[in-house]
Amino acid sequence: MLHGLWSRFVFPIFVAMFYLFLYVPLTVLTIFSFNANKMRFDWMGFTTQWYRALWHSTEVWHALQTSLVVAGASVALCLTMSSLFIFFGSQRTVRRMLLLFYGNLALPEIVLAVGLMSLFYFSYVPLSMTTLIAAHTVLGLGYVVPIMYDRYQELDKRYVEASMDLGATAWQTFYRVVLPLLAPSLLVSALLVFIISFDDFVLSFFCASGSTQTLPMYIFAMIRSGSSPIVGALSTVLLLMSGLVVLIMFALPGRKRGLW
Amino acid sequence: MRKVLRLFSRELPFVSSLPAIVWQFFFMVAPLVIIAYYSVADSSSWLNISFVHYKNLFESTYFKVIARSLFLAVATAITGLLCAYPVAYFIALRVRRFKNLMLFLLTLPFWVNFLVQIYAWYFLLERNGLINKVLLRLGFIQEPLLLSNSLFAVFLVMLYCYLPFVIMPLYSTLEKIDHRLLEASADLGATPWQTFWRITVPYSMPGVKTGLLLVMIPAFGEFVIPALVGGSKYMLVGSLISYYFLAARNNYAGAAFTSLSAMVLIGTLLLVIVISRLYSLRKS
Repeated sequence: MLHGLWSRFVFPIFVAMFYLFLYVPLTVLTIFSFNANKMRFDWMGFTTQWYRALWHSTEVWHALQTSLVVAGASVALCLTMSSLFIFFGSQRTVRRMLLLFYGNLALPEIVLAVGLMSLFYFSYVPLSMTTLIAAHTVLGLGYVVPIMYDRYQELDKRYVEASMDLGATAWQTFYRVVLPLLAPSLLVSALLVFIISFDDFVLSFFCASGSTQTLPMYIFAMIRSGSSPIVGALSTVLLLMSGLVVLIMFALPGRKRGLW
Repeated sequence: MRKVLRLFSRELPFVSSLPAIVWQFFFMVAPLVIIAYYSVADSSSWLNISFVHYKNLFESTYFKVIARSLFLAVATAITGLLCAYPVAYFIALRVRRFKNLMLFLLTLPFWVNFLVQIYAWYFLLERNGLINKVLLRLGFIQEPLLLSNSLFAVFLVMLYCYLPFVIMPLYSTLEKIDHRLLEASADLGATPWQTFWRITVPYSMPGVKTGLLLVMIPAFGEFVIPALVGGSKYMLVGSLISYYFLAARNNYAGAAFTSLSAMVLIGTLLLVIVISRLYSLRKS
């Protein structure tokens, strides 16, 4: 009797409250991005003027461009390096190094950020977009190397052996056999690194020069300085884009249970 | 020349596996070494070692900052776990219809930009924000509460932002539990609660541990949330580190404080691991 009460009412209500907790802030944000009032908290009628202002803001477009370039470069570097490493590195080395790559995730991001900043300062490298790409790439490696390693272990190694037996060089095997087989996990990894880089704030804050402003840096600066209503519109657009990305992830073949 | 070329082409596979390792050493290991070096460096000479930066940190203010961050991180992780466990359990083991939709809605906030999530809370926490308005309307309070710029606001927003980190590993371990185990337990006469405590909880422990770690570690060094909703009253580890490196421009003291905080974090985690090992040893 008590158990029935529990599973029929308490449980679902708790879960519903949880979802409410997750989505009330995001919903309010979306609604208020259409608010005609500049002082964001009192509703004064519907308007799309902040979206128009967003569209015409050169600063936002510039920040978006920076973010895209940095994220694209990090994706390319991460995927190239980790797939080469997984395939060409000897199994022993790879397994030993794996722990080191996991370490990237076990470190509070701010420690890595001030460490990188000190490194650049120490070696007289001026902060720029390049240093930012270096930072994002190392963060991405921590995610991609373990994923790629797992998926590579799951591959049927007889394909690789057959390819070598039939006279292909290691490079040909890598290019013609391994990469196509790994394509789905490459795609997932690419999406993951792209989003990690695109969303990252802490590393960008410490490792980019003043002239390199990514989108999160722009949002941070705007919120801090009392926030123009453009930020609400921009946030809503980003929210929609994230929704789209998650939809794509759900539609991808070979999604494992859980995260993707 | 030919020999060199041949050698090169023979070693090419090996060489091409190197960039990832080199990158990792340059941009992950080297920065940590530099931080460690700065923390014990003597500013007068290159090679001298001194612990003066650490000595300066032996003051209660600094330890209070570290303790406050640690407390906040633990509180966030445990509250997050208590909120997330029933939900993950429900979706993994109870729901049949709408499962994909519920998973989708659960995954979405994880991919939303951190700053967007924080900004969304502004609309709720401000003096004339949504929470105050609702509470005033309902008559629970007469005066608007001061919710933003407090430690509570930091805790709430951290909980919100880190929930996905605890719920995802939990969900994936709960999902993998063999249903036959649960059925067998019920068949052999266990009550649902007994089944829950004896089967489900032990099997989900890996997910619990991963989730707690994934929250505690970043929450300990969190810098953005306190900077945006925390106000200036309470210093946390992340804010103090950024103060040293960006505002005070004192790399030596900053490195010492960073190392000290990292050591406290690692020490705490090790202590927890040792205690839980001892506990499980005694139990068996």
